[in-house]
Amino acid sequence: MYVEINGLTFSYRNAKEKTIQDASIAIEKGEIITILGQSGSGKSTILRLIAGLEMPESGTIKINGQIMTDDATFVSPEKRGVGMVFQDYALFPHMTVAANIKFGLKKMNRYERDARLKEVIDLVGLTGFEKRYPYELSGGQQQRVALARAMAPNPSLIMFDEPFSNLDADLQIKIRDELRDILKKAGITSIFVTHDQEDARAIADRVIMMDHGHIMKTGTPDLILT
Amino acid sequence: MKAIRFFRLHLNVWSIMSIIFTLLIISPTLSIFIQIFEKPNENWYHIQEFLLKNYIQNTLVIVFFTGFFSVMIGVSLAWLVTAYRFPLRNFFKWGLILPLAIPPYIGAYTYHGILNYTGVVQATLRNQFDIKANHAYFDIMNIPGAIFIFTIFLYPYVYIITRAYLEQQSASLVENARLLGSGPVQLFFRVIMPISRTAIVGGVSLVVLEVLNDYGVVSYFGIQVFTTAIFQAWFGMSDVASAIKLAGILMAIVFAILFLEKVLRGRKKYSYSNAKVRPLEPISLSREKTAVLFVYTALIFTIGFVIPFVQLFQWMLLTFEKVASEEFLTLIFNSVYVSLIAASLIMVIALVIGNFTRLSDGAWAKAVSRITVLGYSIPGAVIAIGVLTFFLWIDRQLKGVYHAMGIEAPIILSLSIIMLLFAYVSRFLAIGFNPIDSGFDKIGRSFTEASRLLGIPLTRTFFKVDLPMIRGAVFGGFTLAFIEVMKELPLTLLLQPFNFYTLATKAFQYANDERIYEAALASMLIILISGVSIFIFHKVLEKENR
Repeated sequence: MYVEINGLTFSYRNAKEKTIQDASIAIEKGEIITILGQSGSGKSTILRLIAGLEMPESGTIKINGQIMTDDATFVSPEKRGVGMVFQDYALFPHMTVAANIKFGLKKMNRYERDARLKEVIDLVGLTGFEKRYPYELSGGQQQRVALARAMAPNPSLIMFDEPFSNLDADLQIKIRDELRDILKKAGITSIFVTHDQEDARAIADRVIMMDHGHIMKTGTPDLILT
Repeated sequence: MKAIRFFRLHLNVWSIMSIIFTLLIISPTLSIFIQIFEKPNENWYHIQEFLLKNYIQNTLVIVFFTGFFSVMIGVSLAWLVTAYRFPLRNFFKWGLILPLAIPPYIGAYTYHGILNYTGVVQATLRNQFDIKANHAYFDIMNIPGAIFIFTIFLYPYVYIITRAYLEQQSASLVENARLLGSGPVQLFFRVIMPISRTAIVGGVSLVVLEVLNDYGVVSYFGIQVFTTAIFQAWFGMSDVASAIKLAGILMAIVFAILFLEKVLRGRKKYSYSNAKVRPLEPISLSREKTAVLFVYTALIFTIGFVIPFVQLFQWMLLTFEKVASEEFLTLIFNSVYVSLIAASLIMVIALVIGNFTRLSDGAWAKAVSRITVLGYSIPGAVIAIGVLTFFLWIDRQLKGVYHAMGIEAPIILSLSIIMLLFAYVSRFLAIGFNPIDSGFDKIGRSFTEASRLLGIPLTRTFFKVDLPMIRGAVFGGFTLAFIEVMKELPLTLLLQPFNFYTLATKAFQYANDERIYEAALASMLIILISGVSIFIFHKVLEKENR
């Protein structure tokens, strides 16, 4: 398995209940997973735990055979090689589109960086927008920049936190189809978090349903979604 | 195993430096607390028996009446400006804050200069009208005079906070009260005052803390309170032990007031965060009522700003050539120089602590941010005593070290400017920290997290992402801290190295030597700089926070 999560348990400070209880997930390389659940079900917390933005109480996380978290290990988020597209995109407002996308490419030289920029910006269909600032873009364009930025360093895994919640309904449908194509073309393992069954149906190879910190069901969209 | 993992996550440059800074900042205060219980000397028995009661009584009387009158003036002005139309209303809305630009000690000797025997009032009466009035009528160098000075220059704290609060209140609240038959007076006392309680308490506690911090006014007027007693114990009797005990009692009073503020404020939040509330629209009154309103507002503005400003301006012109010398330039240079260093230190420390507390949500991070802002509530004289004893202790330790190494002491910290800078930082850290804190609060954590997930470590993320995004707050905090340091009086008086003066201490020295006219130039500069501070605080930072 490419991503292996075992017995993950976590609770936020001052919270009475456990946010995540004994969650175990296995993901294959190139698979697109959707975690579906109501708000407060703990689905976003799973992403933060995988990314290393939170530290679990117990459990292990392995990506591509490497231990990210167990009782003795904690790999810091900058060393995990995991990409994430935030709900509010978190594009750096003081940098252009190009600077945002190149931000994570610190190991490359200038030519490689420019080449990679061209590649991903082409992939998300934003060629010509390199010099713009995030506030000069529409919501859909901003999201594509966020995607390009997350993909640029070739992460082993890319995660999306409610990626469609800030988009209009018709844009949402268009973008999620596009997104699936882009991800499949690039062969990137991805995890989506959403509360919307339609999103899950449209984009996922496999759906994980969560409720109150527990994983309830796992399976293909056809099997799980009614 | 888990402990190792925990420390690996939480121990980094930021947390370690934050904890060191916090320990340094709190150590002077702690040193007062420790020494407060040491065996008292003979001097202390004398103070305790004959003077302490007087200090407490004077302090409480001044605090109580200043608080009371500040509330009356501040709240009434806030309400009138919000609720009624009258000529120059928009000007007064901002103008009524201006008295805050005049530090009370400058106001004190300016008003004394206006009202004394040679001052403009008595001289005019004597020369133009041949009236020789009883001097006593014009004497303000007493407790009521101090209350007057504090009230007229500090009421804006109450005014600003209350007005901001009232502006966010729903119009229907007031309209309902009017429909239910409340007259304007009843409306003010039965609706406006009670609903503004949290805002008023917030404002008045700032006033009270300023009064307790003051040394300039009370010492100039010759009133015995805690700050003057601390100065006397130290400079007059070289009795550090008694000074510490007095500082400890004053600090206890401050903590009592902070506690009282918390209790009085209650659980109610400051304001509606709801943007849908229909704001209060000012209404027009009859001509006579409008005139009364205008006169009242203009009168406060005139007493609080126009009169002292014009008088100082005139004195400044009279003495400009005499005062504006090379020496004065050195003075400005000194002032700017220490203020720049202090403000830079404050901002660096505020950024380190701010970045640490926002990224970790543990109890210790909360404690660190509490301690960081505590210094601003503690009177300058108390901090000065704490810092002094702390540095004397360090010097004693160093002396042993130097001795063991067989070298002359290269520097005596307690005589150097390092001690003054240290004290400024612990007193004014909150001024720099608060804008940083709210700046970080506004940008949230997701940018930082995004950067780290892109492989950029914490510290580089700070310089590439976080810092550029809050540079407005950094600029605002720096300017405010710079100005506060420049205006500061009691702490600087106690800790300034030999032959080192700032604008504030020089102005105060001139005034104390009965050379009030010559104090005018330095005073005007301070007022102008303070004006800038007010402008930045209310225009720039307010815009930022929106």
